[in-house]
Amino acid sequence: MLLFKLALKNLLGAGTRTWLNVAVTSFSFVLIVFMSGFYQGFLEYAQQVTLETEVAGGAYWHPAYDPDDPFTLDEAHGVPPDPVSRQLAAGNAMPILLTQGSIYPEGRMMPVMVKGIPPDQNIVTLPTAVLGEYTGTAIPVLIGAGMANSAQLEEGDVFTVRWRDVHGTYDADEAEVISIMRVENPGVDMGQLWLPLEKLQDMLEMPGEATYVVAASGAELLADIGEWQPKPVIFFMQEYLDVIEMKSSNAKVLYAVLLAMAAMGIFNSQVLSIFRRRKEIGTLMALGMIRSRVVALFTAEGGMNSVLAFILGAIWGGPLLFFVGTKGIPLPYDPTEFGVIMAPRLIGVYGVSMILGTTLLVAVIVTLVSYIPARKIAKLKPTEALTGRSN
Amino acid sequence: MDDNHIVEIRDLVKRYPVGGGHFTALRDVTTDVAVGEFTGLVGPSGSGKTTLLNIIGGLDAPSEGSVTVLDMPLGGKNHKQLAHLRRRGIGFIFQTFNLLPVYTVFENVEFPLLLLGMPTGDRKKAVDQALEWVDLTDKVKSRPAQLSGGECQRVAIARAIVKKPKLIIADEPTANLDAKNSHNIMGLLVNLNRELSTSFIFATHDEKVMGYLSRIVHLVDGCIEQEEHVESPKYWERK
Repeated sequence: MLLFKLALKNLLGAGTRTWLNVAVTSFSFVLIVFMSGFYQGFLEYAQQVTLETEVAGGAYWHPAYDPDDPFTLDEAHGVPPDPVSRQLAAGNAMPILLTQGSIYPEGRMMPVMVKGIPPDQNIVTLPTAVLGEYTGTAIPVLIGAGMANSAQLEEGDVFTVRWRDVHGTYDADEAEVISIMRVENPGVDMGQLWLPLEKLQDMLEMPGEATYVVAASGAELLADIGEWQPKPVIFFMQEYLDVIEMKSSNAKVLYAVLLAMAAMGIFNSQVLSIFRRRKEIGTLMALGMIRSRVVALFTAEGGMNSVLAFILGAIWGGPLLFFVGTKGIPLPYDPTEFGVIMAPRLIGVYGVSMILGTTLLVAVIVTLVSYIPARKIAKLKPTEALTGRSN
Repeated sequence: MDDNHIVEIRDLVKRYPVGGGHFTALRDVTTDVAVGEFTGLVGPSGSGKTTLLNIIGGLDAPSEGSVTVLDMPLGGKNHKQLAHLRRRGIGFIFQTFNLLPVYTVFENVEFPLLLLGMPTGDRKKAVDQALEWVDLTDKVKSRPAQLSGGECQRVAIARAIVKKPKLIIADEPTANLDAKNSHNIMGLLVNLNRELSTSFIFATHDEKVMGYLSRIVHLVDGCIEQEEHVESPKYWERK
């Protein structure tokens, strides 16, 4: 308690030097929390969007289906096994049929992934109902805003689409963009055409077939379904989490730089203290303070620096983080052009554990860099300290 | 150790390494300081006064010989034991005051008692009394930077006497003061010596200080050249 009081008195008595250190530390602290919150918010939003628009409750894949190998699509289609079909009939799943195709908007050729989806599905949040409302003669197509942008297509545009049916025969017809959906998941947008499932089954001559089946969120993912492969939610999210993890690693470099800035400030200040306050240290020793308590006093001063930084950070950073956590920061560009899932507004997620964890990390590092120069004090002889000489 | 002695020094040698060899700051010093004595180590610069004071105060270690302070032989003691000796039994007064700059007068004087773990009430009483002795009761909330040199030294004296140590070591306590302040400070220390029976050891080459000493130890080149007892110190009657 005595050391605590003395350290606080010394710290506050040092005036500007203390507050400069505290300001730098609090800046680093708030910035780290700020950035961590963005990554956390980015991650949570991306997971939510991916689940809602694509993954739902997991999937059953045709045994030949490999999303990384488009050549498997020729073989990757079939009637879902009975247990899955029962789930489909109960409305707890929906089939998706895939094939490769090409489109020719205004004479340009673009390879696309053609996807058949039941228009009346409610398994994912894609606005597929419009596909069932079409009364025209062309193939009704739903595309994302990113796809529309890259293909320069607008609602009502008619273009040629070419595909290959189950026999390997090429066929082509006119398709019409009946709706452009704004969806933040590029995985269901870029390079993709969404058609009514039955229409695509007719086009490919694959009645009742699917490439994979998406289970409804909360529905049981059946394990024993023969050759088809159940793919749980974590299977889809893992790849995404790996990407986020990679991005987080980059962020950690930034945190390390910020922490190093704060740590160097404190370290520099503590080293300076040794030289500026060595006579004071000698006096403390002459008055009977043992070396370990002198070290503890200086370490406590450094540790308190982080406490003051936390308080200062809470004063100016608290409202800022609250604003960012509730209102978010609008993106200056269209998120559909970004290529990864981005919310229109970046909203930070600042959990208690993240804030406490960052606080603890900053406190430990700042205390550590205070201890190192303080330990040097312990080696100072009282007579050398009193005369202003150091080892 | 003689009951009447607060410090006993026998065949003390102190060497400092210099380059490949060493410099002998004290050689074959043998002397005692009696309880309640007002002793001065007198000599020119480099004669070993401060070195001897530092060794008596447990701030430095002898190279040879034995030093016993307050019944504790200092040889072989670790820094914790020496710190304990200083904390309990020795007060220090420095030439440059060595006050803690961020503390008030009251807090500076209180500091040795904090190290002793004295309860708050007793601490306040002791600090008030010490500040009364040095006549600084109106400056309790001032910081060292707001005080004159004489006032700073009076704070340093209050800090040294507040725990009522048996021995006070003062290294050139008047070196940074003018004549009037020097006499005031020395008069104050004489009174404390009389009232508290505290033993004082000074290092000085100030003629004014010498006029207050009851015993003078002359040091030349690290050796005791002469020791004299003064029956009637020149300035004692003035106080």
